[in-house]
Amino acid sequence: MGEFFFNIDHGYLEALIRGFKGGILTQSDYANLVQCETLEDLKLHIQSTDYGNFLANEPGAITVGVIDERLKEKLVTEFTHLRNNALEPLATFLDYITYAYMIDNIVLLITGTLHQRPIAELISKCHPLGSFEQMEAIHIASTPAELYNAVLVDTPLANYFVDCINEQDLDEMNVEIIRNTLYKAYIEDFYKFCENLGGKTAEVMCEILAFEADRRAIIITINSFDTELSKDDREKLYPRCGKLYPEGLVGLARADDYEQVKQVCEWYGDYKALFEGTGPNPGDKTLEDKFFEHEVKLNVHSYLHQFHFGVFYAFIKLKEQEMRNVIWIAECISQRHRSKIDNYIPIL
Amino acid sequence: MDQYGTAPSPAEHPGIFRSEEMCLAQLYIQSEAAYGCVAELGELGLVQFRDLNPDISAFQRKYVKEVRRCDEMERKLRFLEREIKKDQVPMLDTGENPDVPQPREMIDLEATFEKLENELREVNQNEETLKKNFNELTELKHILRKTQTFFEEHEELQVEALLPLEVTRDLHAPDTPALIMQLRFVAGVIQRERLPAFERLLWRVCRGNVFLRQSDIDDVIQDAVTGESVNKTVFIIFFQGDQLKTKVKKICEGFRATLYPCPDTPQERREMSIGVMTRIEDLKTVLGQTQDHRHRVLVAASKNVRMWLTKVRKIKSIYHTLNLFNIDVTQKCLIAECWCPVNELERIKMSLKRGTEDSGSQVPSILHRMETSENPPTYHKTNKFTRGFQEIVDAYGMATYREINPAPYTMITFPFLFAVMFGDMGHGTVMLLAGLFFILKEKQLEAARIRDEIFNTFFNGRYVIFLMGAFSIYTGFIYNDIFSKSINLFGSSWRNTYGADFFQEHLTYEEQEKPFMLVPEKGFDSPGGPYPFGLDPVWNLAESNKLSFLNSMKMKASVILGITQMAFGLMLSLYNHRYFKSDLDIKWMFIPQALFLGCIFVYLCLQIIAKWLFFTAEANTVFGYDYPGSNCAPSLLIGLINMFMQKSRDKGFEGPTCYLNFWYPGQSFFEFIFLAVAICCVPVMLFAKPYLMWKEDQLRRGRGHAHLAPVELILLVVALVQVPLMLFAKPYLLWRRQKGYQPQIDQPGTSGGFQQSVRADMNGEDVEVVQHADEPPKENGASHGGGHGHGDGPLDMGDVMVYQAIHTIEFVLGCVSHTASYLRLWALSLAHAQLSDVLWTMVFRHAFGFDGYLGAFITYALFFVFFFLSVGILVLMEGLSAFLHALRLHWVEFQSKFYGGHGYPFAPFSFEKILQEEREAEEQA
Repeated sequence: MGEFFFNIDHGYLEALIRGFKGGILTQSDYANLVQCETLEDLKLHIQSTDYGNFLANEPGAITVGVIDERLKEKLVTEFTHLRNNALEPLATFLDYITYAYMIDNIVLLITGTLHQRPIAELISKCHPLGSFEQMEAIHIASTPAELYNAVLVDTPLANYFVDCINEQDLDEMNVEIIRNTLYKAYIEDFYKFCENLGGKTAEVMCEILAFEADRRAIIITINSFDTELSKDDREKLYPRCGKLYPEGLVGLARADDYEQVKQVCEWYGDYKALFEGTGPNPGDKTLEDKFFEHEVKLNVHSYLHQFHFGVFYAFIKLKEQEMRNVIWIAECISQRHRSKIDNYIPIL
Repeated sequence: MDQYGTAPSPAEHPGIFRSEEMCLAQLYIQSEAAYGCVAELGELGLVQFRDLNPDISAFQRKYVKEVRRCDEMERKLRFLEREIKKDQVPMLDTGENPDVPQPREMIDLEATFEKLENELREVNQNEETLKKNFNELTELKHILRKTQTFFEEHEELQVEALLPLEVTRDLHAPDTPALIMQLRFVAGVIQRERLPAFERLLWRVCRGNVFLRQSDIDDVIQDAVTGESVNKTVFIIFFQGDQLKTKVKKICEGFRATLYPCPDTPQERREMSIGVMTRIEDLKTVLGQTQDHRHRVLVAASKNVRMWLTKVRKIKSIYHTLNLFNIDVTQKCLIAECWCPVNELERIKMSLKRGTEDSGSQVPSILHRMETSENPPTYHKTNKFTRGFQEIVDAYGMATYREINPAPYTMITFPFLFAVMFGDMGHGTVMLLAGLFFILKEKQLEAARIRDEIFNTFFNGRYVIFLMGAFSIYTGFIYNDIFSKSINLFGSSWRNTYGADFFQEHLTYEEQEKPFMLVPEKGFDSPGGPYPFGLDPVWNLAESNKLSFLNSMKMKASVILGITQMAFGLMLSLYNHRYFKSDLDIKWMFIPQALFLGCIFVYLCLQIIAKWLFFTAEANTVFGYDYPGSNCAPSLLIGLINMFMQKSRDKGFEGPTCYLNFWYPGQSFFEFIFLAVAICCVPVMLFAKPYLMWKEDQLRRGRGHAHLAPVELILLVVALVQVPLMLFAKPYLLWRRQKGYQPQIDQPGTSGGFQQSVRADMNGEDVEVVQHADEPPKENGASHGGGHGHGDGPLDMGDVMVYQAIHTIEFVLGCVSHTASYLRLWALSLAHAQLSDVLWTMVFRHAFGFDGYLGAFITYALFFVFFFLSVGILVLMEGLSAFLHALRLHWVEFQSKFYGGHGYPFAPFSFEKILQEEREAEEQA
């Protein structure tokens, strides 16, 4: 039934987002971008795409940093416009998207503070989508409990943080665990939220989030080899809403090396394909890139359905991937490292 | 994909009846003269350049460096403009059109802009620092002032309570032993909206062990960087211990609160306050000076900024155009290809010459006309009057190159058909005046640059509106309708047969209110003849049968108008066929179509006119039959249906259903002939042309490829099953024709008919050259060439076939449905008249029921209601709907008879256009 009334509340925004999606760089744009000799060329070409004159008012020579900043700025402007025009439940849905960036920002700030970096420098590195009021005061906390009581209790992340409250001092290991615990709680909560929304939204989003959950589980496992993280602790960090849950996660929890992870994943058709063709050999793609490609595919597929919120999530993710691509190409150009310039993830 | 191929060259029909004749030309320009030449062509605005390097991406072209320099200059100018706008300095915008600067002038411009920008940036930076200082000092001033009050409150507390007294004394006398609580404080300023969260976090982190006082600063402080106004609040936090101090400081930092040193004793505070005040005064003077300087710089720049921008944009567009050119191997000369109107070639050559001379180049630029098989762009010359109508036509589809342009006819038929639906002298006058206002104030309104979209729609259509108004007055005069009232100009031809005494003597009061009928035989005052022009005003008084009379008249009028317009459209198609020398189309498309239309629909029109002429109210003799009176006037609609059914009817006007009988001698014979001809026309339209072409093609094939005889035999057998194959054959042949006449090259002597040889001409030299190149292998392997043709054939076939079938069927069905569609003329006119009648009787007429001052007042008040409803509903809304219907009648019913609309617009390189676009983009941003 939801489909019948979807357009009353969300039709305008869906139309907008589909329009925005139409502006995503195409294969031929990338083909032109990689031919650029200098960043000025890049600027010239990007002017002919949907980005338009977003770099036109930059005085002096442009740098990768400037491009990055402007790209983010554009995304944030678009997102803010969507958020300001959104009605419930889309508004909450859009808020959920920002939580992931908030988690990243918190972790970035804590790690930075641990390394004695000045807060102003760290703030500039934070993703503007995930900024919140108390963010800059985060460095007063020295234990997770303090962090929770002082800063996070007022933010939407408070519920996710409950599992990590303890009195241990914050150190790097701790921060990683906090990040993953937060992410786990976040993904599971988001998954539940989408499930409750029902309809096409649930169908599309659960697919994407399930993949996200599984990807995190696999990456955590692979990264935890040769660290002091115990297997029990590791298992606690796996988000339990993916396709790997429950059997696959048990398998991952027992895994001791890459091969075992691969074995576990080979039971699952989707993931089996991703592991194939990855490897350390030159010419092979990294597992991470494969994951990105699969994510892009899922996100693009979400546009095949109508009347659901998945397109909003997919747009932000695709745009993020596009930004990564442009930055990658720009970095390759500015560092004169052209051999790897083709390693971007094309958006279909 | 048009079915005519390219047009023959002789320029008959000049002017607006067809689009301008275009030619493809090649330009050879010396590289040093290229800039000057393109500049001249840009001022002229009559040349459309083609991109000769489509494969090279934007940043690899030759003049990309110059384009980039222009971008940079534009950025600087935009920066200047922003700064000028920020200071609200008026910008001089005379709209003048400076000449394109020489390339070397670009360096001067660059230097000027660079200098200006640097100067401005420096000033801005100074101003920013000064402002920052100023803000800090202002904040400090407020802190000192507010904290003073905080402390004073504390002093008061001292009297009341003992403990606080101890505390504050500690504060002021740090030399007392530190055993007692050591209270310390920090003072600072924070943005007002951040305060609640700040306070909450403070309380949470320090577990309630701090004491915060706050006070809003009433003055608005301007942010030094962004220039936005921010509201701030002074706060002072009391706490004890070093640990809390670090925490508090960290939180302050986190919330971007600025902390200021605040002395402990009132004495020091006062001294500091005085110091701060003097420094603020000093800063104010310096700041004022800086701002003055900045203002001077900006005022100086503002005089030139628009002119510079125009110049830079011109330069940029020139380099963009140069990027489209091909560079000769020797690097000495640039080659360009362009479309240009043949009539303007001389002017273009003159411009080129001027450009070459101005750049001091020795070698003249060469313009060389090329032959091409490509479809040239469609270019209609317009002026401000014709533009509106041309746009109405173009909105449907750009005319195919050199086909008849419907715009000149639309100029009259469009307002006329509109007026048929909108016929009312009063509303027409309102519209005419509105159009006239726009036209008379044209210059001022254009200069005002109003950006409202709705206004611009009306303004751009001012001549259309004007004509629509004028025609509405005319049709209103015919309908004798002014705000639903009639005027009796010439004296009605009807007279009242009853007389005043009839009513008084014979009828009771109630009976007088009943409607009475004017018997036509008696009431019609024939010696004066009918009302000389338009509708007799007496009909406005006929309450019960006014509508049925008007309906019958308007319905018939719409059918006549509609069929006339369609027949006219069909005639235009004849001119198209003749212009493109398509004999086959004339014989097998136009003639059957004309016969079909004529036999049924023109016949209907003639019947209508005959009925108007011969059937009067009185009995007389019509075509030899005794005509008893108006009840026996023939019913044309049922007559038309009976014509299709070929129903046998009685002759003359006898019997109870006399209106259904034949009413002129030989009617059944004529109608049978008409119907038979019309029905015969349908298969002719569908099959004749494809069949003939197929046959001719077979003939040529038979001689060209003798070994294809078995295929021919099979085809002949299949030909017996006529319908599907003939449908199939014509599109196939069309495809053949498109490809150029290969068989004709093979067998030059055997070209079958007249139109084939013409078509070969139409394909032009370009095609021929290609064929010559292909000739030797083709002679050797003729069968191969044929086979190749077969292989590619089916690709286009489906498309063309469907198009062809649709075209034929559309005409036949269209004639019926389009005639019915023209009845909207009647329907809208009826609706309009009824609405305006309602407005009169329900609104304005009530005013006449009152006398004296009250009556005057009510008339005054109701007039406005009536007038605004009239303008709002009848003129604007009804006008819009009539406009849309007129638009549809032209696009669908009229243009479908002859208009292809497969062309693409001519987009010349013109500074005027480019500057206009840039300006619009700027205004939208």
